[in-house]
Amino acid sequence: MRDFVVPKTDTKIIGDVRLEYAFQLTAHYDPPSVSQTPKGSFRYQDIVSGEIRGEHLNATVYPDSGGQYDTVRADKVRDVDAHFMLKAENGEWIYMEHVGYRRADGYYRAIAYVEAETKGAYDWLNNTTFVVTAQESADQREVVFHYYIAN
Amino acid sequence: MSGAFTDVAEATPISRRSFLGAAATAGAGAALASVASPMSHAAGTGDTASGAAARHDTQATYYGGPDSKSPKVGLRWAFSATVFFADRVMINSITSPTGRGYTSVGGGEIWGPRLQGRVLPHSGADYYKTTFSTYYMFEASDGALIFIHNRGTMRRFQSRPEPGQPLLPPADPQSAGWTRFRATPVFTAPAGPHDWMNRTVFVADAQRQSNPDHTVFTYYEVL
Repeated sequence: MRDFVVPKTDTKIIGDVRLEYAFQLTAHYDPPSVSQTPKGSFRYQDIVSGEIRGEHLNATVYPDSGGQYDTVRADKVRDVDAHFMLKAENGEWIYMEHVGYRRADGYYRAIAYVEAETKGAYDWLNNTTFVVTAQESADQREVVFHYYIAN
Repeated sequence: MSGAFTDVAEATPISRRSFLGAAATAGAGAALASVASPMSHAAGTGDTASGAAARHDTQATYYGGPDSKSPKVGLRWAFSATVFFADRVMINSITSPTGRGYTSVGGGEIWGPRLQGRVLPHSGADYYKTTFSTYYMFEASDGALIFIHNRGTMRRFQSRPEPGQPLLPPADPQSAGWTRFRATPVFTAPAGPHDWMNRTVFVADAQRQSNPDHTVFTYYEVL
């Protein structure tokens, strides 16, 4: 291994991040299925449908285009891993991925990675980082996700 | 921003100013005030320097939605990482279907209110395609090894992103604004004092610096 010395620098930068509300997704799920695996509890929930409403994006979740594939950890935190497709109101396809945590104390936050047609109307979604907060119904069949642009 | 307010009840006893003051005393952070909000993309919104500093404090800033029923989501500076890079290699080119970049992590330091330590030297790299995906290790000051998988885009902040508008190429790729981007890490920390990192979503500001080649990441807890 090569020696490495951290150079003395004056780059103690404190960078700024601010959030700007973008849109919300109301997602409808089938009941979850939980199975025990060597990697912990695996919780699958099909995303059946959904609607996105916002100033700059209106879309529907393409039916049965994906789901949520979470790991329920020993500390009861769920590692959220969701993938699904959207169809925008003009017909263009959009891919969406959620990575985050859902805790027993009500904290349900994620990062959304979104990809759209670079030559389409939703190119602004590409390379935009979204912070997401979620509100669940009591039966966890309906979840409202609120998306914020990390400016 | 009208949707933001500061949650005083969430404030921690460590203020950014006292932390940075201590750092400056130690000879590590001279001229911090002048770089606290460099090349701010909000420079045109009338923010004052003092306002920018307040947002960087370890108090949480919460953001709301279009109506009062929307849930609030907050950000709070947790720590920063200054990461120095060693090798930069491309397999094919970034525009090739098999283009893959390799940028190795040489080392670095971790500093801030909730985590201190160093980047474990030569512990990993960024293996990027069109988006980056970096794997390496932190070594906290108590010796704990913390795995970071950092993902993100390299969208720059030459200009403020406009929802609904196409991305525009930078007017000047060498300009300072072109060096800023966002990063979203997932940490795996051992049980113990760093366990909170296993159940917290983070978002970071990242600013590339040259000579030497390094990036300064400012990590915010998503509250």
